[in-house]
Amino acid sequence: MNPINKHNTHIVMPFEYHQPATVRAAVEILRKHPGAKPLAGGTDLVPKMKQRLLEPKHVVNLKKIPELSVVEDRGDAVYIGAAVRLREIEKSETIRRRLPLLSSCVRSIGSVQIRNMGTLGGNVCNASPAADGALGLVALEATVHIAGPGGERQVEAKSFFEGPGLTVLGEDELVTGFTVPVPTEDTGTCFISVGRTALDISTISIAVALTMDGDRVKDAKVVLGSVAPTPIRLADAEKQLKGKTLTEKLVEDTAMKVSESIKPITDIRGTAEYRREASRGMAVEAITKAWREGRTQR
Amino acid sequence: MKIDVTINGRERSFDVPPNTLLLNLLRERLDLTGSKYGCGIGECGACTLLLDGEPVLGCMTLAVDCDGRTVETIEGLGDGDGLHPIQEAYLEEGAVQCGFCTPGFIMTTKALLEEEPNPSEAEIREYLKGNVCRCTGYVNIVAAVQSAAGKMR
Amino acid sequence: MSSKPAFKVLGRDTQRQDGVAKVTGREKFASDLSLPNMLHARVLKSPYAHAKVKRIDVSAISDPTVVTLTPDEVPDARFCPRLMSTPEATYKDWTVLTSKPRYVGETIAAVAAESEEAAQRALESLVVEYEEFTAVFDALGSMEPGVEPIHDYIELDEETLKVESNIACHLEIEEGDTEEGFRQADHVVERTYRTNRRYHTQLETKSVLVRPEPNGGVTVWSTTQTLHNTRILLHEIFGIPMGKIRVMKVPIGGSFGSSIQVNPVVPIAVALALKARRPVKLSYTREEDLHDHCSYQMIFKLKLGADREGKLTAGHLDAWLDIGAHQIQAYPLLGCVVGWWVSLYKLPAKSYVGKAVYTNKVPSCAFRGYGNPQITWAVETLMDELAEKVGVDPLDFRFMNYIGEGDLFWGQGPSVKSVIHSCGVEEILTKGAEMSDWYNRPRAETQTGRHRRGWGMGRGYHTSSAGAPVPGTVIDFGGAMLKLNEDGTFDYVSALMDHGGGTLDANAKIIAEELEIPHHKVNIVRADTGTTVYDVCTHASRGIYSGGGAALKVAAQVKQKIREQAGNLLDAYPNALKFRYDQQREQAVVYAEGIEGREITYKELAYTMRNKNLGTIAAVDSYRQPSCPPHFTGYFIEVDVDTWTGKVRPLRVIAGADIGTVINPKLAKGQIHGGLAQGWSMTVNEDTPYDPTSGDLWNRGFISDYKVPTSMDLPSLEAFTVFFADTYEPTGPFGAKGIGEGALNPVAGAVANAIQNALGVRFYELPITKDRILEALKRKEVEA
Ligand SMILES: Cc1cc2nc3c(=O)[nH]c(=O)nc-3n(C[C@H](O)[C@H](O)[C@H](O)COP(=O)(O)OP(=O)(O)OC[C@H]3O[C@@H](n4cnc5c(N)ncnc54)[C@H](O)[C@@H]3O)c2cc1C
Ligand code: FES
Ligand code: FES
Repeated sequence: MNPINKHNTHIVMPFEYHQPATVRAAVEILRKHPGAKPLAGGTDLVPKMKQRLLEPKHVVNLKKIPELSVVEDRGDAVYIGAAVRLREIEKSETIRRRLPLLSSCVRSIGSVQIRNMGTLGGNVCNASPAADGALGLVALEATVHIAGPGGERQVEAKSFFEGPGLTVLGEDELVTGFTVPVPTEDTGTCFISVGRTALDISTISIAVALTMDGDRVKDAKVVLGSVAPTPIRLADAEKQLKGKTLTEKLVEDTAMKVSESIKPITDIRGTAEYRREASRGMAVEAITKAWREGRTQR
Repeated sequence: MKIDVTINGRERSFDVPPNTLLLNLLRERLDLTGSKYGCGIGECGACTLLLDGEPVLGCMTLAVDCDGRTVETIEGLGDGDGLHPIQEAYLEEGAVQCGFCTPGFIMTTKALLEEEPNPSEAEIREYLKGNVCRCTGYVNIVAAVQSAAGKMR
Repeated sequence: MSSKPAFKVLGRDTQRQDGVAKVTGREKFASDLSLPNMLHARVLKSPYAHAKVKRIDVSAISDPTVVTLTPDEVPDARFCPRLMSTPEATYKDWTVLTSKPRYVGETIAAVAAESEEAAQRALESLVVEYEEFTAVFDALGSMEPGVEPIHDYIELDEETLKVESNIACHLEIEEGDTEEGFRQADHVVERTYRTNRRYHTQLETKSVLVRPEPNGGVTVWSTTQTLHNTRILLHEIFGIPMGKIRVMKVPIGGSFGSSIQVNPVVPIAVALALKARRPVKLSYTREEDLHDHCSYQMIFKLKLGADREGKLTAGHLDAWLDIGAHQIQAYPLLGCVVGWWVSLYKLPAKSYVGKAVYTNKVPSCAFRGYGNPQITWAVETLMDELAEKVGVDPLDFRFMNYIGEGDLFWGQGPSVKSVIHSCGVEEILTKGAEMSDWYNRPRAETQTGRHRRGWGMGRGYHTSSAGAPVPGTVIDFGGAMLKLNEDGTFDYVSALMDHGGGTLDANAKIIAEELEIPHHKVNIVRADTGTTVYDVCTHASRGIYSGGGAALKVAAQVKQKIREQAGNLLDAYPNALKFRYDQQREQAVVYAEGIEGREITYKELAYTMRNKNLGTIAAVDSYRQPSCPPHFTGYFIEVDVDTWTGKVRPLRVIAGADIGTVINPKLAKGQIHGGLAQGWSMTVNEDTPYDPTSGDLWNRGFISDYKVPTSMDLPSLEAFTVFFADTYEPTGPFGAKGIGEGALNPVAGAVANAIQNALGVRFYELPITKDRILEALKRKEVEA
């Protein structure tokens, strides 16, 4: 049934509010109140509550938990807490320098206001197939740290998502942060996305990371957003690149492969045909840019 | 829930249900209606205000989340009768038409110029992209930001 | 070219009087207002696109303080919420609430409670039983035999009309022998065009606050473009004597035509307030607002013929207007569509068949330009194609055929005819061509590679008001009051609304010019229906031409009275007296030239008159403008099309406008800037498609899926040039005309032609989205 009479973006309906100071306390609240929802920046959660897509009886604010807000350079990886705001990530010199791909994914999210509020954890846990931060984490093969009543566990970013809005998280689990491996010096990366206007959820997005030895591809990651129920890595396209010497022709063939191997749907942001068509050009651009960057960085 | 919030320089205490949105607290309890409702879901920027100096959206911020923090709204700008240079610039450049978007734009502009006193046109446009104006086509608004930057240097 | 008088106030940028309030956040819009003891209202919307309400059960509402309103509790008289036409042109098919919802979102019932949250809870406790009917979402499909009727009968001028084939109304016109005209043509092009259905996205959602008064009346603060028509409508619906209905002027947060009609929230809140005997506020959420109004979607079959020299010989237009579930101004629009069309280019013979068709969608209303942007897009697209056939440059083709000075003009429809007395088309097109290096633009089909560039031009106009020498079916007059205060300032009181374009300030400047004082000495009074004379509405770019005309009329009367009174006091002949402004005293001075001591300031005059009990100098009058002068505009636009993503970017925009005397250059340019932004996005982005399964808007009312351009989507400051033609409109106040709508009308044509120039592909459907561009390129590739 059409919930038209339940939408009310003036207000959110009542809930009980919790403001734990530790992860352990937060998990305990989640365990005690099934259906409780963590609140980070609220930029996904609050609109969903106003639209009554979610009606949690308990809301657990994560922003008062200090350990969720750390950014740490750990040498071969950078650790980013789940409640670190997108704008801090964008401004972080460490991340800009060491994880330029993630930095550009994050910069493309929403507006300054949205990024001042929104967090990387929220972007990932919301599990939108269009989430730009999630795309970057998948391309960089990040690890997701999860805390639950039974303790900690870790999951690869690409296995974290199970569908639109669906993740491997249990109801009583939290994401605490991400370990993002720093790509080697000879890795070039590129993220591009297309939307209807400059403030829009991507109609389609792509992140590419190429580790190069001159013009030879040592390793390749090709990840697309908004073309499947989750951000997806295209193994076929990656295989086509790996070990090969890059030429314009190879780039074009790979782009063709990208376009052929996705099965997008039509939604209000774009048609399936559009996504398939656009993915080709976008793949050419992203691969070419990553190639150039990887080559020059050596 | 009891909260203490500094609003436009004045410390205030409230007892609010947790589902109270900051925007509604300001508009309904304090009659600070300069921050506008335009969409309620983050798309228009009409509710932009500064929380601890950073531009955020009042329509998606819980009042309880502002406990112990500082809120600045359009009503807090300028001193008494005098206008802030940004407000002056908006008037001089014809950046105000219907004016419904104006408070949000001015607050975003303030944050921008505090962060970057010399923004390029591209930087201005990028920073303002979360604020929708349907009247001006943004031309005079961008010009006003440039002019305000000049005034404030 | 004209011999313009030198102005003292006009033509200079001045700050708007409401400016400080607007930049300090102290301006109160309707949605900002509240009253002690006020109730918050919410409305129950139909979840079905076409249904009958069989039962509404309010008994599950647990809160005893909630006030409910159901269809059987409101007057059942049918009305039309837009009162801009004479009764024989006003079709009535609305009621305050409906028990036969005809689109998803139509209001069935309402509740009012102590808080929005309580009202929301009450709303969700209402139990409604529906009987569902099949719904139709396409105008052409709606006319098919066997389709469920959307309205059985409607009313026109007290009479009941049966609705056939879901056709709301129609209009046919023929002038000259069209068949013969096409026979004389060497080239004929016929195309079918389909426009989008756009949502105004005015920043303030439709809102109203109503206070019931002890005398049985109401005071109303609402989002409206017309105070007086709001009062008339409330009187017609509720029978309250007009003196007891006070409609207050409040600033409006954008409108673009969406508050020409009295917004449906207004009578609902009035009914609730009368029942509750308490103030009621009803402010729509954005998603409700998106279910409240949109532009008219139009389907055109347009045919034009030209001889081998490039002179047009004939034209035929079939137009189907998808009006949604109710008529707001469908019939007048049928007249305007043909008017806009035939007043662009000279057609010796022309014929027109227009039909307005009901569908189970949100009702359409005027949206900046009232159909003009739609038909101008089609005409300007077709003119390019026809020029190509004839073998002349599209710009030259326009030079050969445009309607200009001395020509008969009936933009506002067949009953509003007048002759054009000022025209800047030549100047606009010539300058625009020079600045864009038009004749050296790239040829279509010659470009390869990812990014392709193209130039396009489009021209058009809009009427300034709907005036004419003789009355027609359009009501169009205004009025103003002006009085001299004791300190030498003036109060300007009018019912005219300012939507933000600076209309009232412009009119204050017209008064200031006439009375030889600076603009800030004319105080714009925020008035209401009780303190103003009738003004039809701020629409049709009539604010300055017509509203300013009224302002000038009373200013001239006041000036004459000043002469007479000053003449008496100075012992001088009134008509020999002169006026000047004394900067030092900050007063206007009335004086007898060369005679020492025979002078008096406005302040001294007003004070003396007060002390001698001679009265106040004031004038109040109505004004009907004698003509309907078009303000012409032209755009030259360069775009970049990314053939990989289908994204179109504006590279360069050159806009020329002929608006007569320019009163406030920055704000006038601001109108062009806003027009470009709306036109740009009309061309490449905006639409409100429906989901035929749910019958609802595909975006369900959420603007996250109704995108309007951001600051990043539009041209840079340097890339956007605006210039004004040097013209003077003899029938306008100090030579002024309008600008609001002309700023938008030709944009879509120009952008579409630029895209064609870049890609060599023509589009016949708006918007030309990234998806449609890639689809067309792919089709072209396959065909090649
Ligand atoms: C106008 C607008 C534009 C936007 N544009 C973009 C865009 O361009 N690209 C993009 O990717 N996104 C965009 N978004 C979506 C959103 O802003 C981002 O996804 C943001 O990162 C969400 O973070 P948050 O902290 O606000 O999440 P929240 O709303 O707080 O949370 C989102 C969801 O995740 C859950 N959650 C949050 N943190 C955790 C945690 N640590 N552990 C477990 N569950 C958790 C919440 O319960 C909720 O279900 C946009 C949103 C808006 C309103
Ligand atoms: S009202 Fe907050 S962003 Fe629109
Ligand atoms: S001035 Fe009206 S929306 Fe910006």
